Amino acid sequence: MMSRLVKKSPSLCTDLPLDTTDICNKLNLLRQLLRSCFGPTARLKQVHNNIGGHVVTTSSSSVLLPAISSSQPFINLIKTSILNHVSRFSDFGLFAAIFCLALIEQTKQSGLRGNVAIRVNKHLLALCSSYLQGEDCGCKVKLDFCSSHNLITLARSIISSKPACVLTEPETLHISKLTVQAFLLTVPCSSPGTVSLGKVVTVTVEGYSVLNSAVFPGLLVDMPDGLCLNKVNYLSNPLQMVLFSSSLAGDLSELGDGMIEVHPSVDTESQILDQLLELGKQVVADEVKLFVCQKVVHPVLQQYLRSHGIIVVERVGITVMEPLIQLTGAHPVATLHAKIPPKAYGKVQGLSMRQFGSKTMLHLQPLGESAICTMVLCHRNETMLSELKVVCQKTEHVLRLTLREPSALFGGGCTETHLAAYVRHKNKNEVPETASVLGCSQTEYLLGVEVFCRSLESVARALQHDGGYSLIDLTHAHHWTLPADVMEEHMEDSFGLCGCGLVESSPSKKWTYIDTKYAEFSPAPLVKDCPIQPRVLDSFIAKLSALQVATETANLALDVRYIIQDVS
Amino acid sequence: MLPLEHLHLKHVLQTVGVLEAVILRSFGPEGGQVLFTRDTGQAMLSRSGTRILRALHLEHPLARMVVECVWKHSTVTGDGSKTFILLLASLLRMIHTTASKEPHVSHSYNSLEAAEATTARHLADKLLAFALKELDDLIAMEVAPYGCSVSWEDFTAKTQSAAHTNNHYVQKLLASFFHTRLGYVHCDFVSELTCELLNRWKFTNGLPSFALQFLNDNFPALHTPVSGFPISSSRLIEGQVIHRDFATPCPQTDHQPIKAVVVTEDLQPKLLHTGDVLEVGFGVTEERSIVHFSAWTERSLECVIANLKSLGVSVVLSAVKQSAAVLALATQAEMCFVECVSEDELSVFAQLSGARPTSDCWRIEPEHIATLTFCRPILLGAHRYVHMTFYDSEERVMAKPCSLIICGPGEGQTDQYACAIRDAILMLLTTWEPMRASTTTASKRTLQSPKCTSSFTDNLTDSTKYPSFNLHPLHKCVLQPGCMIPAGGTFEFLLNHALQQHRRSCSDSNDANIGVPVSQLLANALLSVPQQIYSHSPRRFLHTRTRVMSFVSNRFDLVYKQEHKASHMQSEGPLEDGIVSLHCCKKDDMPSKVIMLDLGLESVSCKYQLLLAVLQCVKSLLRLDTVLHTQTALHKQSQRLVGTSWESTEDEAEE
Repeated sequence: MMSRLVKKSPSLCTDLPLDTTDICNKLNLLRQLLRSCFGPTARLKQVHNNIGGHVVTTSSSSVLLPAISSSQPFINLIKTSILNHVSRFSDFGLFAAIFCLALIEQTKQSGLRGNVAIRVNKHLLALCSSYLQGEDCGCKVKLDFCSSHNLITLARSIISSKPACVLTEPETLHISKLTVQAFLLTVPCSSPGTVSLGKVVTVTVEGYSVLNSAVFPGLLVDMPDGLCLNKVNYLSNPLQMVLFSSSLAGDLSELGDGMIEVHPSVDTESQILDQLLELGKQVVADEVKLFVCQKVVHPVLQQYLRSHGIIVVERVGITVMEPLIQLTGAHPVATLHAKIPPKAYGKVQGLSMRQFGSKTMLHLQPLGESAICTMVLCHRNETMLSELKVVCQKTEHVLRLTLREPSALFGGGCTETHLAAYVRHKNKNEVPETASVLGCSQTEYLLGVEVFCRSLESVARALQHDGGYSLIDLTHAHHWTLPADVMEEHMEDSFGLCGCGLVESSPSKKWTYIDTKYAEFSPAPLVKDCPIQPRVLDSFIAKLSALQVATETANLALDVRYIIQDVS
Repeated sequence: MLPLEHLHLKHVLQTVGVLEAVILRSFGPEGGQVLFTRDTGQAMLSRSGTRILRALHLEHPLARMVVECVWKHSTVTGDGSKTFILLLASLLRMIHTTASKEPHVSHSYNSLEAAEATTARHLADKLLAFALKELDDLIAMEVAPYGCSVSWEDFTAKTQSAAHTNNHYVQKLLASFFHTRLGYVHCDFVSELTCELLNRWKFTNGLPSFALQFLNDNFPALHTPVSGFPISSSRLIEGQVIHRDFATPCPQTDHQPIKAVVVTEDLQPKLLHTGDVLEVGFGVTEERSIVHFSAWTERSLECVIANLKSLGVSVVLSAVKQSAAVLALATQAEMCFVECVSEDELSVFAQLSGARPTSDCWRIEPEHIATLTFCRPILLGAHRYVHMTFYDSEERVMAKPCSLIICGPGEGQTDQYACAIRDAILMLLTTWEPMRASTTTASKRTLQSPKCTSSFTDNLTDSTKYPSFNLHPLHKCVLQPGCMIPAGGTFEFLLNHALQQHRRSCSDSNDANIGVPVSQLLANALLSVPQQIYSHSPRRFLHTRTRVMSFVSNRFDLVYKQEHKASHMQSEGPLEDGIVSLHCCKKDDMPSKVIMLDLGLESVSCKYQLLLAVLQCVKSLLRLDTVLHTQTALHKQSQRLVGTSWESTEDEAEE
């Protein structure tokens, strides 16, 4: 609440923001910062605030970008666009940011008029989108759900591109397999009509080896105090369970806004407790073995239920409620007086204990098939664990996206170089027509194409952090890297495989550095059914959308002519 | 002593000039976006003149007055806020030059400035008077005939082929509008989307503007902004989207139809109302214990749910939050609840489904029950909403209700698209709004120029003279609703031409002292608009002007019109023959006509209203002569304001 009336001060104005050095410097700085976080060999960033909160080590855009705050709305415009993309598609935030910033910077350097650049960018984006979506796209693979191989490759590409998780090679593979397993568990096998996907609940355990991470069908909840499962009957037969969504602590239900006058002789609390115990009696009579409550259960009621051999789990929280309902088929109960209808009870197949380091958990196994599973993630320390959790959740989301479009793009920078080569080749013969349609001169159009392609290639080059070289081969237009210390004459021997691992080096191949101009050529498609499997794959939907969002954002930024800042 | 500030014409000019400089950045084909931040720090984008001007938070009262005028104008027509400032600046400049050249001679003033101010004021008054009297006729006779007129019925009656249908014209009109508001890149996509939206919202009965008015009134409930997707993901979806999630697990049943009820109160009966006192444990303990009362509320709640269940209701939309008990009982009864639905959305739901909301769940009549074909969750961006479609029925007023999903990379963009589409609807409303016919002018005209009547028909047919001034004595010339004219300065060129002709004809009839400087002044000021449109290439300015003028001299239509002569005849009756012949004369030479369409289209009545609004603004600006800066003790006010909401304090601050 403002206690003082503040006069609105006139706004701060900036004319032609992209012509001011301050904004250009800030954009450049942001690009350098994000570029250094890109890919498997990225440099990590530590984020810590000025009031001594804990330090976060990360290289992922979803953690890094919110931490960057700028007083410049121009920067915030780009930042929010990228963050919105990441929250929808979980991946390629850095790709989108680097491409967008490169496009803005290159356009500015080329001296192209804003309006022309916008038209050309839009045209080229449409060209790229239709090529990527087309049947004859040369940098796409169909995902085959009969084999988990490509899915694991896709998951691994994402996990290995986040070095802040600090995983060894076998650990990366283990986590990749787990995320694919968890994803597959959430897809129900036998339900006709509209399929509703289940949910992966993530549990984290600190100070335990990554290789101990595991996935379980069903739910793991914190073990209630003082419980040990030694009775055999908990393990096999389907067990009756009940789920409460209201508090059972003995508080009054809502009666209205009026006042209640209680006569001193009346013990209201014990009356309510009697009512609660009444409920307990019904539950016992109905042979319930598991009693779960979202909120608190009165200790006396707990004691009563336990004495009748019922396992009580309280304070499970709102987030677990929906998976619990899906898993057990129970209807949550919130009434104290009515009889619990038989329909409201749910069932679990069995209960067991799971031990992870110091943590003991109760495992609720589903009766029959259920799309709910729990992923237990272990890691050595908290920072790495929190990054690993974020990465696994993102990976699971990206895997889900493959259900919408079962395709993947070549990773390791190969899609970018391939696309750039395609755009260059495609435009070779159509310059005069396209230029006149877009209402610009041929020189302007060619300049626009060059800006777009260079920006794409600069993203591939951003994967390189150790002073190495980025090259492109002149047959398939895939992306290759060379370490910095390789001599010119030994170049051929130093190439093993291209970025995505599909093309092998051979003496007949020719390469050129990415910065240099090369004669345009049609990138040759790879031989169909080739035995080599790609080593790095990118999500198709996420990358396509990232490309679109980045171009749209760059176009917007190029279109901004004036900034009005509210400084009050 | 209060600080005084004398306002001179040059101050006004200066202030408006500054506003013009800002506006010009986003005006015309070479203009771009303006990025502005809200006081929350949120970055927004706009090319709308009103939003840009309001974001400036101007301090000078004069500038605020201008912004207020622009805002008022654009809330009515949705269009023309940037042109408003350009025209205003240009008119003020013209007035300034005229006034400084010929200071009023008949009186003696103590300063040159005072004399100038009087002349300027005089000119402004005369300009407005002239516009109110003559402008509608001039436009109807001299400008509108070169455009095309699309009736609302023609537009909504969906035509098959895309090219050269009325739909095509409306799409052109919208595309030009969105070009000025969103830029070149997305204008075609958004205009197609808007056209589709309008076509789907066809009302089977009702006035032409009814659908537009409905869309305008309910736009917030009928669109969903989704950020994080490219704009090309924007689309229309059938039915309505309720911007809330299910509070209970939604049923997976596919059986149809689904029955839904809207409730406005908590279903759980309130035992105690404010001020009531419940005494517990006074008499017999068991009967009056608190447990007894809470059991009673639960039981009655069970009855309510059972009642709903027996009526077959499976979806309940609630305006308020329901208690946990309600939700749990509803889940057990396999009924799904949507809580806290906004009033706007419930009102749209009521209009689309024909069902009335109820506050008393004990008395539910058939009129409270809506029938839906489906009701399911829909994931839009980060949010899960409720998506429902309505059962087709005879009584329902419209054919295909649909919702608009607006996608963009960020909130700033989705907001911009939503505002632009809403303004486009306003603009269309203005376009099809019948002109406020001032019958008095028509009768006055009859008295004024009786000598012209005889030559009326001759003038129309031989079309080389100046027929505008010679009106049919019995008939008032009314601007067609839905009249459009090529954009890119055509309106200004034509009106400029008409005003000059008018001046000449006035001086012919010895009426020189009334209209001479005024119409010329307006004519010259108008040209500043196309001058700014073609500011990047003066050659194109001349080229376009020559092209437009060549049509005037040949009396060609600027837009190729298909054969909808018949509809004109029907609707306007035999008296309109003169106009129809004007409309349809010389329909050959098609290629050149089609070329003019590349400029896009704009609405004539929006332009007309814009001119009137600008002239009114000029008049009120020039009437001011002094600003008094009063001192109000702000802190005293604020003490009074403690306890009121933040909004009201903000309003105070802006006063």
